[in-house]
Amino acid sequence: MTYKYLDKYPKKFRGTGVLKPLWMTLKRMFKSTAHRPVTIMYPYEKEWVPDNYRGRPGLRFDRCLGCGICVRVCPTTCIKLVEVADDSGNMVKRPQVNIGRCMMCGYCAEYCPVDAMTTTTDYELAEFTREALIYDPRRLNFEGTNEMMEVHIEEHLLSNLAKGIEDKPTAFFDTDRPTLDASKCISCQKCAKVCPTHAITMVVVGQNDKGKDIKNPKIDNNLCVSCENCVIECPKSALKIKEVL
Amino acid sequence: MPYNSILNWIVFTDPMQNGYYPYSVYNLPYDIGLKLWELLGGLIAWLINLLVPGNCVSTWLVCDQVANVFAIILMVVVIFAVGFIINLTMIWEERKVLGRMMDRRATKIGPLGYFQCLADGLKTFMKENIAPKKADKKIYWWALALVIGVSVLVACMVPLSGRWFIADYGTGLLIIFGLFALAPFLILCAGWAQNNKYSLIGGLRAAELMISYEIPMLLLLTGVILMTGSFNINDIVNAQYENTWYIIPQFLGFIVFLICAIAESERVPFDLSEAEAELVEGWQTEYAGMKWGLIMLGDYFRGYVACALVVIMYLGGWMLPYFGSTPVPELVFIAKVFLVFFIFVWARAALPRVRTDQILNIGWKILMPLAVVNLAIVIALRMGGVF
Repeated sequence: MTYKYLDKYPKKFRGTGVLKPLWMTLKRMFKSTAHRPVTIMYPYEKEWVPDNYRGRPGLRFDRCLGCGICVRVCPTTCIKLVEVADDSGNMVKRPQVNIGRCMMCGYCAEYCPVDAMTTTTDYELAEFTREALIYDPRRLNFEGTNEMMEVHIEEHLLSNLAKGIEDKPTAFFDTDRPTLDASKCISCQKCAKVCPTHAITMVVVGQNDKGKDIKNPKIDNNLCVSCENCVIECPKSALKIKEVL
Repeated sequence: MPYNSILNWIVFTDPMQNGYYPYSVYNLPYDIGLKLWELLGGLIAWLINLLVPGNCVSTWLVCDQVANVFAIILMVVVIFAVGFIINLTMIWEERKVLGRMMDRRATKIGPLGYFQCLADGLKTFMKENIAPKKADKKIYWWALALVIGVSVLVACMVPLSGRWFIADYGTGLLIIFGLFALAPFLILCAGWAQNNKYSLIGGLRAAELMISYEIPMLLLLTGVILMTGSFNINDIVNAQYENTWYIIPQFLGFIVFLICAIAESERVPFDLSEAEAELVEGWQTEYAGMKWGLIMLGDYFRGYVACALVVIMYLGGWMLPYFGSTPVPELVFIAKVFLVFFIFVWARAALPRVRTDQILNIGWKILMPLAVVNLAIVIALRMGGVF
């Protein structure tokens, strides 16, 4: 019965199976005594973490547009846009993060078109109350944010590869743009009001039967970050996100 | 009435001059106990004498008979305390060595982590004392008390040196072996009394373990006894000093005895009766809190005895070759015990637990023939006149 397991050893060395683990443990003992064991004495010493470590999300307040991409991309819906006063006293929209719900995936930082959201190396997040886990936009600020913490989600476009350009990773907000179906537009200007980068201007394209101007949105592709706010806001679904490359 | 100085009452007398001295040779723990009693009893006698000068109680407290009784009580306390400290140090050694062998840090409480066992003891002491409703209460408590009691007793029976013993008798080693073998029987009783399937299986395994290693162990004892011609521990140690450590002629016996000793103290490669991966906590399942803590302590006491037996039988006891008996032979003995215990810990770190059928195979098909071969070697050496 037991010999079933012994068959894989050569007959000569049967029964010497106890010697190898004994030798290994002895070797390990001398090694970990001469050097140090792998244990890290955590509260007193900390493990090294890379700069792009997925800690809690951080926010650079002045860079943020308030576009809301992070809110929509968050898998656990822990981000919420709240109105806060910026440095000059104007009320602006900025993300607020519920760290208790955050799963530290870093999508908000990856999708941020202006790198206002970053990952941070901060992972000691315990608090005494649940309320304290909600980080308001000012508290999301992280001292020592560097460019390694700006993580991007980029892809090599098939169109670029077809052209022979192999070293041009492109972010999604450079490829997607809202496009207008002019026949549906009712000239309500909601898209222009909601655009965080003021990329949309209303231009007069004609006059209707009553003599009023028909205004259609004109999108400045250089300013647009394809945040889809206009698409969501449009009451008649006249705007659609399309790949423009 | 002149003032009666305390120094008139505390006189450190020579224990050998005590008319009721129970030993024929000098005994260090008795000496310590007697001196402790002279301090304590002398102080009490002096105080009573201050209040009631010239009373009979004071003189009674420091007379030979009373001093002898209290010296024996204090001597037992001293012997137990030293055994206890050795035990705590062994637990500490096990934790440290095991930690290094597993490439991690071990205990960190106190100097070098030494106070971890005290913290553990305190923790188990704080727990509620509970017994299962349907357990056989009488045996449940008595088996527990006897397992711990027998373990501590056999640990106290081990002499640390020629001057550190409870009794110096002709059958010393045999009595230690006899008491040592009692524990598995009591474990079986405890396993039955708890009315729990895991405990019962654990108890049965303890009995099974015993029948597989006890016989080779006694055969090896026979080898040592044949070489010495005496069961007396003092004689065995002195014979090893005069000739050579028995590990050299009986190296085979040493290895086999080491394996048997690990099994006897129910430590990891052979801890079938505990087997925390299969049976919840083996035969100790229903013993919670301080009961479990004391069982653990008892286990380590038996581990200490197993190491001490290896040292006495094969490693020359408290004697060193060429030096003989050092000024503190007790420390030499304890150092050797720790060295043997290191091997126990090493085996624990390296080897997995054997199965129930494997332990029978090992005991009867490997250890037993090797023990007989060892006995044959001893007989050949004895007949050849080498020893």
